[in-house]
Amino acid sequence: MSKKDDHANVDLRGTLISVFFVGVVIVAMWVIVYSMYVAR
Amino acid sequence: MIAAQDRKIALWNIGVAYTAFLIGTLCGLLQVFIRNDALQLPAWLDYYQILTAHGVLLALIFTTFFIFGFFITGMSKSLGAFGPKVRLFSWIGFWVTLLGTVMATVMIVSGEASVLYTFYAPLKGSGWFYVGLALVIVGTWISSFALVGHYIVWRKTHKGELSPLFAFMTITTIILWIIACLGVVATVLFQYIPWAFGWTDTINVELSRSLFWYFGHPLVYFWLLPAYMAWYVIVPKLLGVKVFSDSLARLSFVLFILFSIPVGFHHQLTEPGISNFWKFLQVVLTFMVIIPSLMTAFSMFATFEISGRKKGGTGLFGWFKKLPWKDVRFTSIFIAMAFFIPGGAGGIINASFQLNEVVHNTLWIVGHFHITVGTPVAMTFMGMTFWLIPYLTGRKFTKSMQILGFVQIITWSIGMLLMSTAQHVLGLLGAPRRTAYSGYNGHESALEWFDGILTNHVTMAVGGSILFLSAMILIYIVVMTMFLSPKAVKPEEIVEFPMAESDKESTPKWLENWWIWIGIAVFLIVAAYAIPLSHMIHHAPPGSEGFKTW
Repeated sequence: MSKKDDHANVDLRGTLISVFFVGVVIVAMWVIVYSMYVAR
Repeated sequence: MIAAQDRKIALWNIGVAYTAFLIGTLCGLLQVFIRNDALQLPAWLDYYQILTAHGVLLALIFTTFFIFGFFITGMSKSLGAFGPKVRLFSWIGFWVTLLGTVMATVMIVSGEASVLYTFYAPLKGSGWFYVGLALVIVGTWISSFALVGHYIVWRKTHKGELSPLFAFMTITTIILWIIACLGVVATVLFQYIPWAFGWTDTINVELSRSLFWYFGHPLVYFWLLPAYMAWYVIVPKLLGVKVFSDSLARLSFVLFILFSIPVGFHHQLTEPGISNFWKFLQVVLTFMVIIPSLMTAFSMFATFEISGRKKGGTGLFGWFKKLPWKDVRFTSIFIAMAFFIPGGAGGIINASFQLNEVVHNTLWIVGHFHITVGTPVAMTFMGMTFWLIPYLTGRKFTKSMQILGFVQIITWSIGMLLMSTAQHVLGLLGAPRRTAYSGYNGHESALEWFDGILTNHVTMAVGGSILFLSAMILIYIVVMTMFLSPKAVKPEEIVEFPMAESDKESTPKWLENWWIWIGIAVFLIVAAYAIPLSHMIHHAPPGSEGFKTW
């Protein structure tokens, strides 16, 4: 079985959500500081 | 186990790293008490001496020596024992770096160079401080070329093969380091040294700062990439799986060569003398670094999930519980990664042009530094120390050491959470960085910053004290595993270098064609820097004389 198939067959739903979580932290922190910038 | 002569070089590097760590963390403890107005230093020692020693010894010296100790061990393991020339140059590199370290440290401690680790002009230290720094760089270059030589010999005997992932990543980091150092070498040799010894009267401040940050940002990646090496190569082995994707790992590393260097202006966003266009261009290039960073995050989560599911984890997050939490080598690195999520997000804020104005000269930056290099990098190095030193000395990593290891990483995490959160919030409120204790002349607005439960000097001092306690536990572990723990005799007692397998059959060969990556990197650097640097030289304002403010 090729490496590509290995990856195609693994269940990575948790990984997808975890990476989204990282993205949400980045966006949330950015928006908080941006709001402070705009408010000042 | 690797060759005894190679082990010796690695152990000396790690030994010096932890000596610097001991002095540097002691300076950190003193700082938090001074800022809390709870400690009066003797007349011969001031806050800025300690602050400089803290930054130089931890950020520059601890990291550099530890990284070379790690590289030497891993390169000897993955490519085979060093030849006599590689050994000779590794030793020469080590001694030259050490000589530079001692010179710079003596100058700092004797009060001749309280210029902080960024040594911004027009603050003027002793010329010997800058000579010491130059020797540190030259020493690392000699050590780097020794490792590159070892790699070239391997390539010659393995024509057409991709190198092992560890070696590939080491060489990537070294290429990044050598290109990055050109900036700091240029400013130290041609600006600082002639100026500090009085051969020239003035210095072009903006040029010196720009050349420093040309070096200063990739310096962050010189710290970070060895930690990423542990994440990509060591962690899968601890989890009992292969590297998630060899080509993804290699691609993310070469992207760091491209996007970590032509970005230094994002440290200078508040400075005059650089037009907005060049700042904006470098901000955009800075944001490109998010791509390999998120590729790394994805790869790590995938490694965890594959391993956890293999061990019977079900559902969306059942794999999480199956991770080896009782293994301090893994848990330490996992916590390091977790700290890097807000750390990385903070970095994006810092680099976001106008948003930089909110945080630039504040304690936020200090907090950011401590949850990037101070925890993700440092705690990864701590986690590696638990097996790297026993591997090199052939001693046991006993049960009591494992328990102490857990105490150490937990105390470091708690201390850092307290201290860096306080620093982040205080920074957002407006509290400045790079200052000793100040009563702000009793100004109401300034004093209000420190009124919160979290946002006060006491929280920072408590956090700093816990961190120091943790550092001392680590020093105890280092001394025990280096000199005193019993020798491993039985096979199950022998500590291994956990290096995961990586399937490179389907990895494209062009990923290891260095000329492509060096070529693109040079193109990006020239595009981002040639015109603004030339402008700074040709339209230079009057230079500045040196100032000794201490």
